[in-house]
Amino acid sequence: MLSDHDGPSMALVVRKDLKLSPGKLAVQCSHAAVSCSLQAKKSEARILERWTNGGARKICLAVKDEESLRILMEQAKSAGIITNLVKDAGHTEIPPGTITVLGIGPAPRRIIDLLVGELKPY
Amino acid sequence: MGLRSFIHQLTAPKSSDSVPNGSFKLVLVINHDLKMGKGKIAAQSGHASVSATLKMGANEPNLLDAWLKSGQKKVCLKTTQDELLELEKHAIALGIQTVRVNDAGKTQIPSGSLTVIAFGPAQDEELEQLTGHLKLL
Repeated sequence: MLSDHDGPSMALVVRKDLKLSPGKLAVQCSHAAVSCSLQAKKSEARILERWTNGGARKICLAVKDEESLRILMEQAKSAGIITNLVKDAGHTEIPPGTITVLGIGPAPRRIIDLLVGELKPY
Repeated sequence: MGLRSFIHQLTAPKSSDSVPNGSFKLVLVINHDLKMGKGKIAAQSGHASVSATLKMGANEPNLLDAWLKSGQKKVCLKTTQDELLELEKHAIALGIQTVRVNDAGKTQIPSGSLTVIAFGPAQDEELEQLTGHLKLL
């Protein structure tokens, strides 16, 4: 039996050192969420469905820099979870090609918690 | 060309007919009456964007494709709840897709609060008419 705790979740992990404005942050996180969902639609249709039916849980977390983001991405990849790294086009605020957000999931919540449980909410 | 493929060519829908021209965006309008933290706004915008994407994928895959191919452009704006609901009515009248996000209320705000409405993906000009006067978040 699946408890609420096992429902799939998605983590949006943001670089704190960029000091993005709220609007920019929202847009970058949305990019990550959409790209992860589309990837899931192709390769993990069942988990995507469970995730959307369960309210599409998302959490927005912070890391200190790009390196932390890359380490986290490697960990998630080796756990076999969908990841998406967002590179900004650089039209506003930051230089083109800047890495801003890492999307992880949708994946079972306990795996997401293992990966990002230590991180603080943004 | 065989007769069958000739008939097929005449009757098959031309994919180019239904792909609109121009550039496209998705506009996320935040309910600024609520006092949400940055991270909360980001997660709510994520909800809106994913729902808008999946909904458009089911209804108008060509339009979704055009938006994705042009870099899934998104803009995040803010307004009051009253105006947000007005804009939703206008958008529906214009045939622009809208998606409402009501928060589950686990953090920061009361359960069921309207946090964001996504408008589009749609053509830049259409959305400009609708939301061009709003301030960036």
